[in-house]
Amino acid sequence: MADPSPDVRAAAADLAAVIERASADLKLAEEPSGFIVALEGDEDPA
Amino acid sequence: MTGWTIETLAREIATCRISAVEATETCLARITRFDRRIRSFITLDADGARAAARGLDAELARGRSRGALHGIPVALKDLCHVRGLPTSCGTKTAEYFTPERECAAATRLRGAGAVILGKLNMVELAVGPFGDNPHHGDVQNPWRPGHSAGGSSSGSGAAVAAGFVLGALGSDTGGSIRMPAACCGIAGLKPTYGRVSRTGVMPLSWSLDHVGPMTRTVRDAALLLAVIAGRDASDATSSRRPVPDDLATLPRAIAGLRIGVPENYYFDRVDPEMEAAVRAAIRALEGLGAVLVDLRLPDPEPLVGVANVITRSESAAIHARLLRERPHEVGPVVRARLEIGFQISAHDYIQAQRVRSRLTREFIGEVFGTVDAIITPTIPEPAPKLETVTAGSLEEIVRRTGQFSRFTRPFNALGLPALSVPCGWSTDGRPLAFQVVGRPFDEATVLRLGCAWEMSAGASGRLLEPDLVD
Repeated sequence: MADPSPDVRAAAADLAAVIERASADLKLAEEPSGFIVALEGDEDPA
Repeated sequence: MTGWTIETLAREIATCRISAVEATETCLARITRFDRRIRSFITLDADGARAAARGLDAELARGRSRGALHGIPVALKDLCHVRGLPTSCGTKTAEYFTPERECAAATRLRGAGAVILGKLNMVELAVGPFGDNPHHGDVQNPWRPGHSAGGSSSGSGAAVAAGFVLGALGSDTGGSIRMPAACCGIAGLKPTYGRVSRTGVMPLSWSLDHVGPMTRTVRDAALLLAVIAGRDASDATSSRRPVPDDLATLPRAIAGLRIGVPENYYFDRVDPEMEAAVRAAIRALEGLGAVLVDLRLPDPEPLVGVANVITRSESAAIHARLLRERPHEVGPVVRARLEIGFQISAHDYIQAQRVRSRLTREFIGEVFGTVDAIITPTIPEPAPKLETVTAGSLEEIVRRTGQFSRFTRPFNALGLPALSVPCGWSTDGRPLAFQVVGRPFDEATVLRLGCAWEMSAGASGRLLEPDLVD
């Protein structure tokens, strides 16, 4: 694949900066799959 | 077509006042006459539809009805794989996507008696909100040719609005059901993440993709949702929660329901006519007994950043082979947006997923501890001119894209049910729309509020149709 253009590199850097700011105070226990747990709540569908 | 909804046509067919074949032929004739300009279809399966309709009429003659959709003409966004039909995903390649399994939602629609007329135009690879497509033509807004039909489910929005089909399936990763619904003056529902199976649907972003109905009325959206919702073991993200009977609760009064009206972000830099129409709809719901609560929502900007990192990373992985082997076949804007994903680190992708978890938990706790639903504009302005939004540098187009989807994208990151409902017209005849967002898996309340507005505005009783030109 060709080298990324400056625009593409800049857009990726902007996104990385957003995530760095947003993740600054993440708790150690926060897992990537916590989203599904948040949506499903405490309800046991079974 | 005038006045038909899924509900009314199904009743006509069930009582043999019209046959499934006649309904199908009416739609096919309308498509043949008008779709050369609208460009909502990529594949029209007239023979397949006629055969299916004949079979359904024969079943009815034997006393067997498949239920709510028996004989109803529908069509699917061309990223839903249907056996026997090509799935281009809006690309130059006719059969870009051929999974082992058929689109689970399409199978359920057919099982409930729907007649599938074909596959609908869309933005290339579902990347973009305006309905332009360099390979299959730009979808025209049926109400205002030359204006955007919204995207990426552009053909779905236009085909329903133009009366070519009674309902359609769309997919929504950042607003791709709700934006075309808003632009085209129809109802469009992004259900809760996990409520409707994505099996057999080309992914754009596994973590953010949703499949949902697009229809002329909110009640019809509830009818389609009832058919396509529910557990599917072949989709790892499909929820095990039972599907409640939303249709039964739809007519219930909305008195006492608490509606959150955002004080921040969601009414910033909104077209004055759009804002006035949305606020008028909110007041009308208050008049029906809903309680309005002004509230400050958690800042959506981090959510938008999270959604962008996840979408870019996952879509680059999904389409890596196309970008590696045939990049010249992909339009420049879509290619540039996909290429960003290759520059995002695994660390940032994982952090984005973790931030999403925290923000979702916080949003649900803070907001839905106070209100039952929130209402915002779906899009910041009525359908813009296609030539305006597709002009300029790559950077300008990408910025415009982000601006147009800024009210829908946060709710993909949050996975919450979100419904776009038409709520009037601009002075130059473009549809206006609001968005209702509810608790996880509470499609019932979202649909109930949309339906209450629709009934109060008389929309179900006097469906308008655009004046189309051959």
